[in-house]
Formats: sequence, C-alpha cells, structure tokens
Amino acid sequence: MSTGTTTAGRTGSGGRFGRVTVRPEFTLAVLAVAGFVALAVATDGNLLTRGTLDAFFRFLAVPIVIGLAQMVVLAIGQMNLSVGTLTGLCAMVAAWLMLEAGLPAPLAVLAALGVGLAAGLVNGLLVVITRINGFVVTLATMTIIEGLRYGVNGPDTFQGYSQGLRDLGTASVLGLPVVFVFALAVAALVALFFGRTVAGRQLLATGGSPFAARLSGVSNDRSIVIAHGLSGLLAGVAAVITVAASGSVNSSIGDDLMLPSFAAPIIGGVALTGGVVSVAGTCLAAFLVRLVDVMQAQFDINPRWIDLIVGAVVLGAVLLGTVRQKLSKGSP
Amino acid sequence: MPLWANPRLGLLILLVALIALFTALRPAFMDVTLTLVPLQSDVSVYAVVGLAQLAVLSLGHMNMAVGRMAAMSAFAMGLAYDRLGVSLVTGLLIGLLVGTLLGALAGLVISRTGVNSFVVTLAMDFALVGLITILYTRFTDGVAFGGLPAGMDALRNDTFADYCTGDVCGPEISLVVPLALVAVLAVGVLFRFSRLGREILMTGANGRAAELSGIPVRSRVVQAHALSGLLAGFAGFLLAANNGAFSASIGDAFLLPSFLGPVLGGTLLAGGAVSVLGTVLGAGLTQVIYKGLNLLQFQLDQLNLYIGLVLLAALSLDRVRHVVADRKGARV
Amino acid sequence: MTLVAENLVKTFPGVRALDGATLRLAAGSVHALLGENGAGKSTLIKILTGVHRPDGGKIVLGGAELHLNGPLDAQHAGIGVVHQERNLIPGFSIAENIVLHHLPRRFGLVDRARMRAEARRCLGLLDLDLDPDTPVSRLSVAQAQLVEIAKALSVDSKVLLLDEPTASLTGDEADRLYGIVRRLRDDGQAVVLVSHKLEEVFAVADTVTVLRDGRSVAEARPLAGYTQDQVVDLMVGRAYSSVRLADRHVDLRAAPALRLDGVSTARGHRDISLSVRPGEILGLYGLVGAGRSELAKALLGLDRITAGTVEVRGRPVRIRDVGDALRRHRIGYVTENRKEEGLFLDQPITRNVGVTVWRRMARAGLVTDRAERRLVAGYTDRLGIRISSPSQLAGLLSGGNQQKVSLAKWLAADCEILIVDEPTVGIDVRTKAAFHELIAELAGTGLALLLISSDLPEIVTLADRIAVMNDFTLRGELVNDHDYARMSQAIIRLIHMGSRPAGDETA
Repeated sequence: MSTGTTTAGRTGSGGRFGRVTVRPEFTLAVLAVAGFVALAVATDGNLLTRGTLDAFFRFLAVPIVIGLAQMVVLAIGQMNLSVGTLTGLCAMVAAWLMLEAGLPAPLAVLAALGVGLAAGLVNGLLVVITRINGFVVTLATMTIIEGLRYGVNGPDTFQGYSQGLRDLGTASVLGLPVVFVFALAVAALVALFFGRTVAGRQLLATGGSPFAARLSGVSNDRSIVIAHGLSGLLAGVAAVITVAASGSVNSSIGDDLMLPSFAAPIIGGVALTGGVVSVAGTCLAAFLVRLVDVMQAQFDINPRWIDLIVGAVVLGAVLLGTVRQKLSKGSP
Repeated sequence: MPLWANPRLGLLILLVALIALFTALRPAFMDVTLTLVPLQSDVSVYAVVGLAQLAVLSLGHMNMAVGRMAAMSAFAMGLAYDRLGVSLVTGLLIGLLVGTLLGALAGLVISRTGVNSFVVTLAMDFALVGLITILYTRFTDGVAFGGLPAGMDALRNDTFADYCTGDVCGPEISLVVPLALVAVLAVGVLFRFSRLGREILMTGANGRAAELSGIPVRSRVVQAHALSGLLAGFAGFLLAANNGAFSASIGDAFLLPSFLGPVLGGTLLAGGAVSVLGTVLGAGLTQVIYKGLNLLQFQLDQLNLYIGLVLLAALSLDRVRHVVADRKGARV
Repeated sequence: MTLVAENLVKTFPGVRALDGATLRLAAGSVHALLGENGAGKSTLIKILTGVHRPDGGKIVLGGAELHLNGPLDAQHAGIGVVHQERNLIPGFSIAENIVLHHLPRRFGLVDRARMRAEARRCLGLLDLDLDPDTPVSRLSVAQAQLVEIAKALSVDSKVLLLDEPTASLTGDEADRLYGIVRRLRDDGQAVVLVSHKLEEVFAVADTVTVLRDGRSVAEARPLAGYTQDQVVDLMVGRAYSSVRLADRHVDLRAAPALRLDGVSTARGHRDISLSVRPGEILGLYGLVGAGRSELAKALLGLDRITAGTVEVRGRPVRIRDVGDALRRHRIGYVTENRKEEGLFLDQPITRNVGVTVWRRMARAGLVTDRAERRLVAGYTDRLGIRISSPSQLAGLLSGGNQQKVSLAKWLAADCEILIVDEPTVGIDVRTKAAFHELIAELAGTGLALLLISSDLPEIVTLADRIAVMNDFTLRGELVNDHDYARMSQAIIRLIHMGSRPAGDETA
C-alpha cells in the first residue's frame, strides 16, 4: 500500500529527522497491529480462520473507500454530507440497469461510477456558482439524492443480478478478498493523485491556503469542483463494491455510511480545515473501526457499544492531534 | 433593508402559496383533525429542533448530536415518569436538565480544547447512540417506557376546542403549540434583546474581538451549547408527547430538519446572525411540503427529493437577492 | 519605459485606495515606491500583479496594453512579486512552493527531480543553502521570506516587485538581499522596492515614486535629487508636519492612574516600569515586534504577569481578563488590528459600540435597540463619525470611521485609562490629523492615555513623555519638547543604545 501523503508529507525525507515515529499514521499502525494480534489471541485464533478473516477484509472495503470519499473534500476544507446516500443511489442504479434494463454488468458498473461522478460534479459546481457553503449544498443534495434513491425501486429489494459480479464480490486473490484488494488499489490511486499529480497538489494548495494558492495561479474553483467530483466518483466505487459483495441492494443502502465516512479520516489525522490528507491514516482508521466491529461479533457484545467506542475513539484521536500540534509548536 | 430583500417575506409567500396549492389539489388538506392538528404538532416539534441547532449556529458552531441529546433527555423523562412516578412538570424539568448538561459538556470540550464543534458533537453522537440503546434495553422492554404521567394523554390528543367555558370553546389548536411558542419567544427575546444572547452572537461574529471587548468567550460557548441541549431535550419531550411514548427512536430523524429550518430561514452557518422567525417559517414550510405531498400519495422517502429541491432553490434565490442587493448598494 | 501604470483608480467599500496613481518603471533600475501606511502602495502592487482589478487607468508593458485577469496573467507577462504577507502553502516543501505556478510534469505526474532542480537554481540565485525538500512550516520567518523571493525569481520576470522585503530580515540578510537586487538590476530587470526603511531605500534605489492618499505626488524622479527629509515631507505632506496641538496642562502632582513597577511577563518582558497620570499621554515608542502590544495585552490579563506590581489609581491589582480590566479597573484597549480584533465587521455600528456597556444598559437582562441608538448618537456627534445610519454595518465604514467606532466602544464604557495601539495605521493623512486632535482632547478631559505607536511624528506630536521599548525591555524615557528633529534623534539613540545592530531604522 502506498504511504500516507500528508502535505506536511515527506516529513522524514531521507529519514534524517527520525520523525516517522511521531506521525499519526505510525501510532495508528501500531494500534492496528496490536489490536489485531490481541483479538486473534483473545479469540483463540478464531480470527485467523479462513472464513472469519475473509469476512473481516471483505467488509473493510466499503469503509475504506467511503472514508476516502470524505477525505478528498476535507482536503479543501469542505464536507460532503451526500456520500452515503449517493453510494446508495449508485448501487440502486447499477442494480436497476442490470435487472430492469438488461445491461451487462460492466456497463452497469460504469454507469454507477458515472452517476457518482456526475452527482459529485454537480455538488462542486453548485458550491462554486452559488458560493453557498459546501456543508449546506451537500445537505440539500443529500436530501434530493435520498428521494432519487428511493425512486429507483421504491421499498423493494433488487437481487439476483449478474452472477459474475456477485462471484467477484466473494472471490479471493492471494488469500484476500478481491473487493478488499480493489479498495486498496483505489486507495493507492488516491494517494498517487494527492502525492504526485498536478491537480492533486493544486487541490491541497487550495485547502492549505486559498489566497496563496490563487497567487500561484491555482484556480480554487477548479480545485473545489475536482474535489467534489472525485468524492462522488469514490462514492460510486463504494456502490460497486456494495453491489458486488452484498448480493442484494435496497433503498436503505448508504444510510449508515455518512457518519462513519467522517470517522475514518478524522481518526486518521485529516484536518477539517483542509490542506492535509492521509490516505494511509484513513485506511488504518477504517481497519481499527472494523476491528472493533469484529470484536463485538466475536464476543457477542451488544452492537451498540461499538458506536460508543467509536465515538470515544474519534474524540480521543482529535484531542491527541491537538495535543501533538501544541507540543510541536512549543518546540520549534 | 428594503422589504423585498427580507428573506422571511419570501418564505412566508412561498408557504401561503403552497398551502393554497395543496388545498386546491386536495381539499382534505384543510381537514382539521386529519391534517391541520397533526401539522401543528409536527411544526411545533421541528421548530424547536431547528432552534436547538440555531442556538449553536449563532456561534458558527454545529451540533451533530441534537437528535441524541433529545433522545437522552427523553430517556431521562421516561425513566422519571415510569420508575419515580413524578408529575408531568417534574419529569420534564429532569429531562431538560439532562439535555442542558449534555450540551454544556459538548460546549466545555469545545471551548477547553479548541477542537472543531462538528467533530466533538459528531463523536458525542456516536457515543450517545450506543448508550441510548443500551439504556433502553436495560430499563425497558427494549422499545419504550410503559408508565406515562397524568396529562400526557391530553397533550397528545386534545386541542383547545376540547376545553369549553359554557358554550365558548377554544380554537382547534393542539396543546403542544403554546409550549413550542414559549420556546420560540424565549429564544427570540434571548438573541434579540438579552445581553447573554447578544454576547453569544458577538462571539460568533468575531471571537477575538469579543474577548478583547470583555466578553467571557468561553462561558458563552458553553452556554450556547447548553441552550442547544436544552432545546433538543424540549423537542424530544414534544415529540414524545405527540407519539404518546418515550421510545428509543426519538431524535433519530432530527439532524436534517435541525439544519433545514434555520438555513431556509436565513441563518448563516458562519455565526453572528440568527433568525428565529425564519427558523419557524422554515420548519413550517418543510412540514407543509411533507404533509401536502403525503396527501398527494407520494411515498415518504420520496418526499425528500422535493424538500431538497426547495432548499436548493431557496438558497440560490437568497444568493441572487444578495448579489442584486450588492449591485444596487454599489451604485449608490 | 518597461512598464507604465497610468492614472490607476481603485475603490473599496468606504475607501478610495487609489485615486489616479501613476508608476513608470525603466529596465535596469531599482525604483522605490514610497508612501505612508494607507497611501495605496500595497493596492498598487496588487493591481500590477493581477490580484485586484483597477476601476480606472491602464497598464502598459513594453508598448502593449496589459489586461490582467488574475495572478497567473501577471506571471506570464513577466511580473514577479513578493507580497508583504507571507504567501506560502504551509504543508508543502520549499521546492513545491517555489514552482507551484508551473509544476513540471512528466507522464502526467509531478516531476520531482525537475522541481528540485528548478528550486535549487532559484535558491542558488540567492546563495541560499536550503534543502528544497524541507517543508516551509519548519522555516524561520526570514527563511520563508527568502523562499518567497526565490519563488518570485522563478518567474522569468522583467519586473520584480518587492513589498517590504526586509521587514523580518536581520541586517546581514537584508544586505545580501540588496546585493541580489543590484545584480538583477544589472541584468536589466526593473525592480520595484517598497520599504519604510528609508536608509535602505536611499542605499539601493535609483528612482522614486511617492504616493499620498492614493495619488502619486512624485513620479519616477531620480532619488539622488532628494534628501531623506524631503522624501518624508512628500510622504506626509507639509500641512501635516506643521500640525501643532493646543497645549494641555498636566497636573504633575497627581497620583498616577496606572503604574507598572518592575513588571515581567510570560511573553518575555523584563523589568518594565512606567506610569501615566490622569490627563497625560505617555507615548510608548518602538519598532514592530518590540513587544508593545504584547505588554498591553498582558496588562489586560491575556498573558501572565510573572513579576512586579501593577497599580491602578494607587492600588496594587491583579487583572484576570478584559472584562475585569474594563469593569473593575476602567482600563480600555483600542487595538492596532481593528479588522480582526477591534470591530465586528458584519455587525451594525450600534452593537459595535454597545458591546462593552450592555451590562449597564440592561433592564432585567434585556437591552433595547432604542437605548443603544441613543448611546451611539452621542458618540457619533462627539467623535464626528460619519455614518449613514446607526444600523450600518461597521465593515462598510472607511478606515478612519472604523477606528473611531473602535474608540467609541471604550469611551462608552467610561474608561479612565485608555491604551491606544497604533491609532492611525492605514488612515489617510487628513483623518489622521483630526484623530490626533481627538486624542489630545480626550487627554484634556482627564483620561490617562498610553499611546503605542511606531510613527515617530505622531508620538512627538501627541505625547507628554515618551518611553522607548525594544526587544521587550524599556530603553529609557524622555520628556517630549515637541521638537521633532531633537526628539527623533534622541529616540533613535535610545533604541540603538546597547542593542543589536539588526532592525535599525530611521523614520
């Protein structure tokens, strides 16, 4: 997997400063490994059995991608409240195209991605044209998309679509679920985008300091549209994974994704003010949340404790980040 | 400000137009027991929900946990009524106290750590959603409290028309309406005339200048969030009164409407300015659309499409009006 | 002529920042652009670099008229700039910041190797030995400044604009910078230098344009034809220099309203002792960064006082916060940063003035608009604030009127001790004179005034005594005899006495 691309990035370039250890990604990685080992031991190795492990990673794919979808808009200091419902809409559209319109699976997948991208671009354009706060714009589009999502098939469930796609959703490669590998590949691409492409760097410049970016000839409007478009596209990706992995979709898909989409990047060290992203941090945070999830299933804990724990973790992560920031400011 | 530039007026006209439209399409819209009385109750609840969000929007903050604060308050009320057998008013006060304390807690964390209010209340939402289910499972059959205080039933079913002195009966107004009205008036007076409310607004407008003007900024932040918690709790009570039960699901659907009302009514997310009347009108507008479209046999989930479109249209119009006003102002 | 900007006009809400300014630049020369704060220098620079669009006038570069629709247009036209504010992306590396406007790419990706090479070339032009991969967030202020200059050089520029480039540099660093400026001039560039350090300007510049109130009062004249004093006269205007305020009588036997004795603060002030009597103006002079505003804020309880005593009207006090200072001790602070700390720009004037007195105005916790308007009307009359209505937003007022509103807030609160921090920064010359009269008048009514200023003529005009601060300590105190030449020399001498050579300046 690609390394994190904080804009503060390349902190340890050449390893000269040995600062790798103070980066939030490092803490998260240690926590993730420790948690995984601890859970494996506590379940007497049950976690490492083929079925459990497979399920663990398969249902990690969507949280990773949806976290990234939120992260790309956080990068410019905005939010996208519509990621969850958009994932649902894209999934419903894909299923509808296969079942009702009889389109082959690859075309349906492309269409789902297209819907996501288009909706994201609309978000971005609305923000740029109306100059209304991104939070409010996506609040409105979230509501609209909610209606559209329901409109595709009413309260009914789509199932029995493309066998090939569903097989792909349950298939494994090198012992890992295909959808998980796919999610990692997407994460790598996002990391590449922010780390190495001109558009990605300009987007981070917009997030870091819009005025300075403008002075350097960066079009902030363009960055906003690209960020929202990419966010929508990633929601489309999450939808494709959902359609493949779950075998059936209905209009409630995505309802439980909006808040977790914020949890992963925030725990992963992404600042709400923009300018800083961390692909690795977001992925690791999603991993940690999934770990808590599995722990609940293994020990038959009331699932509601999960939310309580995630809430505490989000707050803890942010507080830790603030403390770290204060410390690093105190010792220049 | 010229009359045409007043966003409240546009909202009022839209409201009247929609009522006329729905009445023309479905005369049942004017049916008192079927539509008007339930509509009053709903508007009452969601106006107060909107005010709960408005209380922190005044600071430029958000409260992502409005729903859960309402649920915790409602839980405390239900517990007090069911287990302690307290009177209607005592239970209400206990619940409001819980809501206030939760809000104050959020405010305290925000003002002490300087962490973004969105993150703090989001984390709180996660934590509370888990806690609430756990509490309901432990103290009830898992769904709702059984014991209700005297007077709860009247609050749910009666209108003033049921109370007569001699031959003169009251109007067909639900009993929760005056309760909500008290909240609206209190919040209106607070932000318009009281020193506390004005100082909260000044803190939202420019925190640094507020501090240098001798305003205790930190306390104001805590107080605004406490007010938000208080109002959320009150909204929870009103909804429980309407539903006739203190159940775990109270507050589930509060988050979106809490933003819809204030934003439609012209309250900025940036802080420093609020519109209480606009929030009430905004809440009224959304509920009228829900009820009207419902009568026209639209599915509940699909209604969101139209709510979202209205929100977007209202915001864009507001934007256009601003631009026009700016141009006119520039020419003078 | 390489570049001619003719009759530029630019209006912001409430202010006419440029009112027919003209700038003519020749290739191979260093051109000084001078003027007081608020004269329009930064606005002119922002127009030349495409940040603002002019409301009137035209820009001609190499014979062709130039229409700049954004910063990128200016860069393509060969105009490089270092703005007064730092404009680097905090998380990015030095190299990336330098080449951000034309990131080199290969196969659609950023070509890091070429980016570094280009950055090294630009850093090399400045003889800077910095690792291009270092994030700029780790640089010192001076280093960041030099990186911005390197960034401006990476544009293949014909014109280079430097807005206060040495404000945060030490003497050595500034010398090195001017060495580079001379080299660029010899290479045929037109360099525009904005600086308030006249000695440096006279050492390096060939020609000069002076702006006053948005107009050019001297256009592209050879600098050799002027003395420093003549330039200062041009900048401030004759009328202002000769302002003489009515004598005030200060009762020297009166007990001090505010007295500091051996005060040290957490911010680094050491052993500060001073006192102000009712009716007296104590000037606190120092350069930017000397620690004057910080001392004021420590007095208000915003920073910890670690040693010494603060006495208000003869009684030792410990001030916890601004509210405490205001209500218990009647101390007010008119901030230098009125847009960010002094005013609520999006709020009506009534609230801006009333904010300090709501506690007193409230009946049963409620404040009426009527009472507030009455209060404001009193101060608009007294201070001569020009407003269209009391509900006008403060952000729409001109700089001078904004400053008066910021002052009215404290007068309304019945302050007896007023700390006024750089009261006339960014205010045009005429309003400035009126403001000075107002401040003298306030002292005449018995207010104890601590006037913080880095404007020498201002402090010599207004103060009864002048305390000089440098590097968070007091260098000495002078009784002001209002003779500008003598006083300014004495003050400069105090600053240099035993201090480092860095940051020297004459006004």
